[in-house]
Amino acid sequence: MPRYLLTQSASFVVTLWAVLTLVFFAVRALPGDAATIMGGLDATEQQVEAMRERIGLARSLPAQYAAYFGGLLQADLGESLRERRPVTTVLLERLPVTLTLAGMAFVLSLLIGLGLGVLAGLRPGGAADRATLLFTTVALAIPEFWFGFLLILLFAVNLGWFPVLGLPPEGLTVGSSWNLILPAVTLAIPRAAQLARLARARVLEERSSDYVRTARSKGLLPNAVGRHIASNALPGVLPLLALELGGLLTGTIVVEQVFGLPGLGLTILGGISARDYPVVQGVTILAVTVYVLVNWLADLAQLVADPRLRAPT
Amino acid sequence: MKRRRSIRNLSLLALVALLPLLGGAGLAQTLTMAMSAQPDTLDPQVTAATAAFQVSKSIYDTLIEVDQSGVLVPALASSWAVSPDGLTYTFELVEATFHDGTAFSAEDVVATLDRIRSAETASPKVNEFRAIVSVAAQGPRTVVVTLSEPQPALLASLASGWGAILPSEKLAEGHDFGNQPVGTGPFSFASWTRDNAITLDANPDYYGGAPSVDQVVIRFVTDSAVQLQGLLTGEFDIIDTVAAADRPAVETNPALTLVREPSGLVLVAGLNTRRDYLSDVRVRQALNLGVDTAIVMEVAYSSGSQVGTFMEAGSPWYPDSVEPFPYDPEAARALLAEAGVPQGWTLDMVLPQPYEEHILAGQIVQDFLRDLGINAQIRIVEWGVWLSDTYGGPRNFDITVVGHTGKLDPSGRLTGLGDPRTNYTGLDDPKLAGIIATANITPDHAARQALYTEALERIHEQAPFIFFGTPDRVYARQANVEGFWMTPLLDSFDFRDAALE
Repeated sequence: MPRYLLTQSASFVVTLWAVLTLVFFAVRALPGDAATIMGGLDATEQQVEAMRERIGLARSLPAQYAAYFGGLLQADLGESLRERRPVTTVLLERLPVTLTLAGMAFVLSLLIGLGLGVLAGLRPGGAADRATLLFTTVALAIPEFWFGFLLILLFAVNLGWFPVLGLPPEGLTVGSSWNLILPAVTLAIPRAAQLARLARARVLEERSSDYVRTARSKGLLPNAVGRHIASNALPGVLPLLALELGGLLTGTIVVEQVFGLPGLGLTILGGISARDYPVVQGVTILAVTVYVLVNWLADLAQLVADPRLRAPT
Repeated sequence: MKRRRSIRNLSLLALVALLPLLGGAGLAQTLTMAMSAQPDTLDPQVTAATAAFQVSKSIYDTLIEVDQSGVLVPALASSWAVSPDGLTYTFELVEATFHDGTAFSAEDVVATLDRIRSAETASPKVNEFRAIVSVAAQGPRTVVVTLSEPQPALLASLASGWGAILPSEKLAEGHDFGNQPVGTGPFSFASWTRDNAITLDANPDYYGGAPSVDQVVIRFVTDSAVQLQGLLTGEFDIIDTVAAADRPAVETNPALTLVREPSGLVLVAGLNTRRDYLSDVRVRQALNLGVDTAIVMEVAYSSGSQVGTFMEAGSPWYPDSVEPFPYDPEAARALLAEAGVPQGWTLDMVLPQPYEEHILAGQIVQDFLRDLGINAQIRIVEWGVWLSDTYGGPRNFDITVVGHTGKLDPSGRLTGLGDPRTNYTGLDDPKLAGIIATANITPDHAARQALYTEALERIHEQAPFIFFGTPDRVYARQANVEGFWMTPLLDSFDFRDAALE
């Protein structure tokens, strides 16, 4: 176990460094920088150059790279070029919205996806199976921005159950997390569909295995057989679950845009169009960290759920 | 049909939603406005963004301001005098209090103008104050500004958003005005959650009298469809964007009011006069004759007035002598033939994302050019790329479409034209540059107007742009919102007299 943790930590640091270096140069390769954009149509070349000087973009690329990674070693993510405040502050302000949204979407997709998948797999060709097939096909075909907009029209405009705009002016509060239901559903549906398909396939696989035939032939009740199948099929779904959780973060970019939610998705979009390099890099760090963490957790969860993996080698 | 019914249902819903509010008379009144853009900062000295000044107008005051008819009127300066040689400006100040409780005095004006002129601030508007030699307080209520050369546009600069007066005490502390703005304005800053909302509280001690609403909430909503839905459900009292297709629905809804007034924009297709054929003035005139700009204005910008030179329609500076180019494809073809332009000439047309209306305008121009035998190939680029690669830097384009925002003084619009280094069209016309430079420092109003007229006539002839026109500024509000207005030319939001009836 300690060796496992050590190699995993080392690979995390290398992954983070590689991704961050890539992003560092990629955002700088885009034409234009924060100064040209803040200067707009009226600023002259000299004024833009002066602004570049003020926000620290006049230094050479290697100097900027060294300064940035030097700061990182001291847990300093730098300062937003546009907002003129620490990137850490910006991220901490935005993180709760995205985490809550992704968390709600994750639970929803888990409940809907696994539930439908297991139901469908236990009785292939039955009504539940056909309904699930229809659901997954439709859910995977509908683009998120369009589906989200439909939900707004129906539930916010026509029924008035939710405000049109995601959150109240003061941002995310305990009371306003209810408002995240529509975006969470939008985010969860396509993921639930994918999960349902995989869960169904795994259940079908288990159904045809020897132990199930034995259990059936010795007269075990169908419900008990179903429980056995489900508990053996589910560990195989866990790796996909981890991928899904990581994918939720990218999904939030679209959903936050549609619902106007002030989370990390809008932050990185705004950061790219304003060429706010430190902010883009900061969100990247968070995203990589979440990806790696989630994969670790999935590994661990698989250890817990599948005793065979724990056997001494 | 279905749409109309749903709107009727919506207004009913809106009424129901309003009922509890009616019952709670005496409660704090909040006015909510949806805004499509978002400020980059609330420090008025380090930004050039219209969105920043639209909001900061409520937080800060300027020495002078523009009234609803576009005339310069007193604000923090109760009066001002200009010496006959145009080199000394003396301002008498009103009594006012900053939101942090400190009293406004001449020292604040000195500190503010010193900061915007300092190299350290790196203000994108620093050139507008370049003629200032010194700013001095004469007692607490008088400020004297001395110039090196006459600069009649100074008053306009002081009346613009970047002329906002900041408290000297906080300036000395290096206060973060970008995130925690402090001014003397009618509203004090309460909070800003980015990409979400800015909340402003009424300033009961405002020198011009307390505003009627208690709070203003500005919501950032990029999507115009969401803005409209929020207006229909009553979530928003005012929205700053109404898509052309939605205007009839707003106009026919008795609970809503559509406001349509002239904007300060000049919409153009900029021509790169350093490129082949476009360097020939006959070709540029031919493009102006060969594009029906009335169609461009109507289809891409929904309405507005055509212009024939680089000045917004309706401006007192717009010369009576300049008419928009007529649509005359025959004359255009003759001019192109005369200039030796071959059939099938290919142009690089660069259009800025995410400005859908400019992209549409570009596509319409492309159609008209095709009729002239010119093949314009459209390249859509993101705004940051457009600024650094098309408008600035290497100026990689033959033709591009953009809107130039309103300026209180013509010098703001015209300076730089005629000098190939300072204008994206690259027009090299020292005579034009000379006329503009002279006009910029001519104190006598009539003489100045004559010079700008000459310059604008010359710009019409030189045609470094295809001149489109000035669009209407269209926004919508609930019918019960009274007293809200937007500053002419600057488009700033003015909530001082806004009230919910």
